[in-house]
Amino acid sequence: MVLPSHLQHNLMPSEINFVAENELITILPRYSMNKIELIGHKIPALRAMRREKVPIWVAVILKSQDKCSIVPPKWLNLAYLKDKYEEEIRKPQVFSELPWNWLEISKVLLAKAADDLSDPSHQLRSVLQDLREIRLVKSHKGLRELNESNIQLNGLSLLEINELRPFVLTVMNKLRQLHDTTTTRGAVEAGEGDDMDDEDNYDDEDD
Amino acid sequence: MSGNYYDLDDILADGEKIPCRFNITVPGLGYLEGNPGKAINKDSKIELPLWLAEILAVCVNLDESGSSFIDLPEPEFLGTKVKNAIKTSPTSVDLHKLLPNYYRLVEKWCTMVPEPELIDIVMTMLKERSFEISNFAGNANKQINNEFIYTLDEFEKQLFKMTSESNKHMRKWLRD
Repeated sequence: MVLPSHLQHNLMPSEINFVAENELITILPRYSMNKIELIGHKIPALRAMRREKVPIWVAVILKSQDKCSIVPPKWLNLAYLKDKYEEEIRKPQVFSELPWNWLEISKVLLAKAADDLSDPSHQLRSVLQDLREIRLVKSHKGLRELNESNIQLNGLSLLEINELRPFVLTVMNKLRQLHDTTTTRGAVEAGEGDDMDDEDNYDDEDD
Repeated sequence: MSGNYYDLDDILADGEKIPCRFNITVPGLGYLEGNPGKAINKDSKIELPLWLAEILAVCVNLDESGSSFIDLPEPEFLGTKVKNAIKTSPTSVDLHKLLPNYYRLVEKWCTMVPEPELIDIVMTMLKERSFEISNFAGNANKQINNEFIYTLDEFEKQLFKMTSESNKHMRKWLRD
């Protein structure tokens, strides 16, 4: 009740970003470090030049201190993303498969570890932007098909769903409420016609 | 009923006046019509708030043959004229001028008097209009000087606000 309304029913993009930073990523340490036992994750002992998987937030901290280089995930390169973009264009009805947090991870890595990525960051940025825009247009088109009972969100990532959620939920709720009025009372009458008759029938049913 | 007891919009919608016709003569109720002390006559037409009309229309008069205290003729905002206007072009109807809580009223009305056809029309309208709303909410950083925004009913305004808010957060996150 005390939270502002935009925080009550939906996650902020920054919160989703926070969740995504818990994902593991491979790094290539330059120094050795003892292992750390945290409540959520164990960070394994790091030895120089031996690949290890650590949460992204750890990788980013180490990277900022120049203690490791990050191995980009296999989907974060120009060829793969261009491929996905082509796929989006080829299949106008479907969203292509991307990791559930592709927007967040690509943003973090582009900002904090641009020099570790295999392609120039401006090109990556532009193809990511293209992908986002084409998917945005698609999901927007899909809003025309809203109904009171179900919605299909195959292939959308968490952040993209989160962005749609307030709108879709509100509209679908209202549609459902409107639709419920026709089913709960067993709408036998043709509606229209004589209102007095309607009223009488309705009373009879109620008794 | 879906309404929340503390929901202000719900209370406002309940206070909306709808036309009623008395089926019986009630002594002493003349003040509703503006002549205090007199009786209200059978067949007199009068506008009552929805919360009162609902009870009176549903309660059955025990003495007579099952007729209720009042009849509810179709209110203007659900009439054929409005329905046709909605059917022709859902996005150009001025819902706010018609009724500030149009969807709620339709919902309440149809819970009393089932009208599948009306619900159909209203649902189609909601789909069309909400699509339009999401269009507008998408480019909220530019000045909106479109008539459409002023024709939204309270529910749609809420929807517009929430959607543009969410888009704003998203844009902000992408920027920094």
